[in-house]
Amino acid sequence: MLNSLLNSLFGQTVIAYLLMFAVPLVLPVLFIKLVGLGGLRELVTYEASDTPLHRLDPRLKVLYPVAMGVLSILLSWKLMLVVFALTLLPWVWLRPSRQRIRVLMVMVIGPALAGFWSQGMFYLPNPPIHFLYKFPWTVAWLGSPGITSYGMIFGLEQTARVLVTVSTSMLILVSTDVGDFTWAFERFRAPPHVGFALTAALRFLPEMISRTTLVLRAVELRGYDLSRPRWFQFTRWPDYVRRLARCAVLITVPLLIGTLRGTATMAMVADARGFGVSRRRGSLKVHRLTRVDYWGYAILVTLVVGAFVLNHLHIGARYYG
Amino acid sequence: MAASAALSARDVSFAYLGAARASLRHVDLSVAPGEVVLITGASGCGKSTLALALAGLIPSRVHGELRGQVSFGDRVLSGLPPHEASQLVGLVFQNPNQQLINQTVQSEVAFGPENLALPHREIAARVDWCLEVTGMAGMRQAAVVTLSGGQKQRTAIAATLAMRPAILVLDEPLSDLDPVGAQEVLATLRRLASAGDTGIMVIEHRVDEVAPWADRVVLMDDGRIILDQPPRDAWADETVWARTGVGVPDLVRLGHAVPGAFPAGAPLSVDGAVSVLRGGWFAAALAQAASRAGGGTAAGDAAAGALSPPGGPVRPPGPPVLAWQGVSVQFGQVRAVDDVTLSIGEGEWTALIGANGSGKSTLISLTVGLGRPASGRVEFRGQPIRPGKVFEHAAQVALLLQAADEMLFAETVQAELEFGTRFRVLPPDPVLDVAGAVKFFGFEDLTDASPWELSQGGRQRLALAALLVGAPGVLVLDEPTTGQDAHHMQAFLRLLERVVEHTGLTVITVTHDIRGLASRAARVVVLGAGKVQLDGPVRQVFAHTAELAQWGVLAPPLARLQVGLLGDDCGEVLLTVEELAAAVGPRPGAAAAGVLRPC
Repeated sequence: MLNSLLNSLFGQTVIAYLLMFAVPLVLPVLFIKLVGLGGLRELVTYEASDTPLHRLDPRLKVLYPVAMGVLSILLSWKLMLVVFALTLLPWVWLRPSRQRIRVLMVMVIGPALAGFWSQGMFYLPNPPIHFLYKFPWTVAWLGSPGITSYGMIFGLEQTARVLVTVSTSMLILVSTDVGDFTWAFERFRAPPHVGFALTAALRFLPEMISRTTLVLRAVELRGYDLSRPRWFQFTRWPDYVRRLARCAVLITVPLLIGTLRGTATMAMVADARGFGVSRRRGSLKVHRLTRVDYWGYAILVTLVVGAFVLNHLHIGARYYG
Repeated sequence: MAASAALSARDVSFAYLGAARASLRHVDLSVAPGEVVLITGASGCGKSTLALALAGLIPSRVHGELRGQVSFGDRVLSGLPPHEASQLVGLVFQNPNQQLINQTVQSEVAFGPENLALPHREIAARVDWCLEVTGMAGMRQAAVVTLSGGQKQRTAIAATLAMRPAILVLDEPLSDLDPVGAQEVLATLRRLASAGDTGIMVIEHRVDEVAPWADRVVLMDDGRIILDQPPRDAWADETVWARTGVGVPDLVRLGHAVPGAFPAGAPLSVDGAVSVLRGGWFAAALAQAASRAGGGTAAGDAAAGALSPPGGPVRPPGPPVLAWQGVSVQFGQVRAVDDVTLSIGEGEWTALIGANGSGKSTLISLTVGLGRPASGRVEFRGQPIRPGKVFEHAAQVALLLQAADEMLFAETVQAELEFGTRFRVLPPDPVLDVAGAVKFFGFEDLTDASPWELSQGGRQRLALAALLVGAPGVLVLDEPTTGQDAHHMQAFLRLLERVVEHTGLTVITVTHDIRGLASRAARVVVLGAGKVQLDGPVRQVFAHTAELAQWGVLAPPLARLQVGLLGDDCGEVLLTVEELAAAVGPRPGAAAAGVLRPC
């Protein structure tokens, strides 16, 4: 009875729809439940500490994501998984808080799952194709004939490129004081304004998130219903989305006014503290290269040169078909 | 820069671009290194504009028409680029959040010297010195986002000091600080000035707290300086202060109310007053009043009817309307609220006080479902308050945030008042409907105005009115008088008293304003380290000055004076100058006191 139901067109259609939409629906739920607006702060907030990673030469830290970016361009998707695993090693050094790990995991697993699943459905190898689950015509018209293991693996490899970028940039953001970024940019002969723009963005993004959270609370305190329906209350979700959209309009004015007020003061403070007076700036910190820095530079150079060599020898090189 | 050089404003007038009226009018002022000058005045009198002008930010960064001259020694500040002016006169803005640009304390302090391309050794020396004098040396590596309001304020001061200005101008530096934190910052500023290299100009409404540290008091009104005198002489004529709506220190008012109490003039510090009065007729009269009362308290002998809080008669509290039962709240490793059991009766007016970070705001946020207790239970009229259900609980408990501006969303005053009614069903006979609120709060002529056209006090009134239209059972106010001058604070307190009288609401106020708001409440709950440390009638709680100080709370000056004279066993204290004057009576042989003005 159950077998025949599962094999019927209706049963197959239900299963196919679930397979097609379950994962995309899980992602926002994961984000809301485990990250939320407040959790976003964790992504961009510097975590002051005295780990070896914090003490690394800031220039090396700026070069690290660049080098990894080069690797992700040159190497094949399969090797990118190895590179991604390598980018995880410095996190052990950093020992981030549990809350930050939770947020980072969601931000890593989310794209990975999305890439893995979507490619599983939409990336098709050359025939003959072996489907893990073949969609009936009632679903196939959406553009996917079914899920293939080949597509899933390809999705995983492709996702690795995104993960490498996320992992390296997050690591640097949470372990580097923006003053160090500014210092590094200056040593690379970049204008001070580049460093200052980054400083302002990283300093005030968490503030902005906090203010948004506060204003959202205020909206609720004023009697606006932002309560989320349970997942199975399908009829209430459209209304919830409508309320969210309307709320976005409501909170814009107080957020905008507060932000504009703040930026005017910030500009005066920057002026008063002499920002932009001199093209060269002094520095509180003296960054003397240590053995760890030398090792870091050596590893980065080895990885990049190695990637070029491998690419030249057509070993593990990215396939341009 | 010559050591004797001073900051001076000569006949300075300024009108903002497009403004019909000048914000500064013919201001003459000078501040020298080594001096501490208190500048005060009602909101909108031009204090902050004067600060911008003195810091050389007018007209280069704040545009308008400037007349007269601001100079330091022989250098005209209004013509200097801001970074040069800031090495002569440094300005600490009102809101520390908006002026901390960097991520850590030390990088914030180093930012200015780094921009000046100073040698590393000089930058390091400046950073070390600034962090040391502001008491932030132990937190140099801390991330700015993790700092408390007081720590942010000190970091902002340190960062401004790092430019090595000869004069430091601070615009309301105490607004986010609890009284103990405020005294620490003021002591730091006094030390800086006493070292002789730096002049300090403090713009503040909290006159009581700053005056003891100041060398001069400057009073502004309508863009002009109307008084510039040493503190001992500044309050000789109270009518000047009454006209501007700025509060007069309680000890000064006591000196005026009880002629002869301070023959050499009223001291501005409690310690000074105690040393003058101890062993004299005033102390004897106070002790006699206390012994006549039988309970060993002067309060018992106060004028008839004065035993109720100044805000109005105490109503016996009804059944519990809000209750916290064994509630704890944890933020990471920090226990913000620790096993609190507390109950608030129907119709009670309770003040929740405590130092910054004592758990006050966390505790009240639970009453509307904001935040989740790690353990325990919060109830409204016996029903549990469910975490996250803010929309539901906001109908029962109205919470007015400190940042009332963030609570306004509509285009007009009328729409703002109707906001809540559009989204939820109100009881058929609310205590205050929209029309009633318009009338009660005096918005008759402003219904079509934008909320942003109202003054700050007006916007706060509007936010309060809008919450009350929602017909809540409890009104919770989080620091509602922060940053307000005495006149606006008194107006808000009177409004609140009218609301309580009209609606019979249960009110909880979270406040640092011990003298004003907390004294209006019938009951005071003191939080310290996340726990309830003291809980009782306001007169009794304020008699525990030592315990209060232990938890970062400074009792009102009059309370500390009474405890200083009667000793620690003083069971209750009098809260107003009028009560105290009535209790001690006139000095034997002295003329009767003049007419007393309300506090």
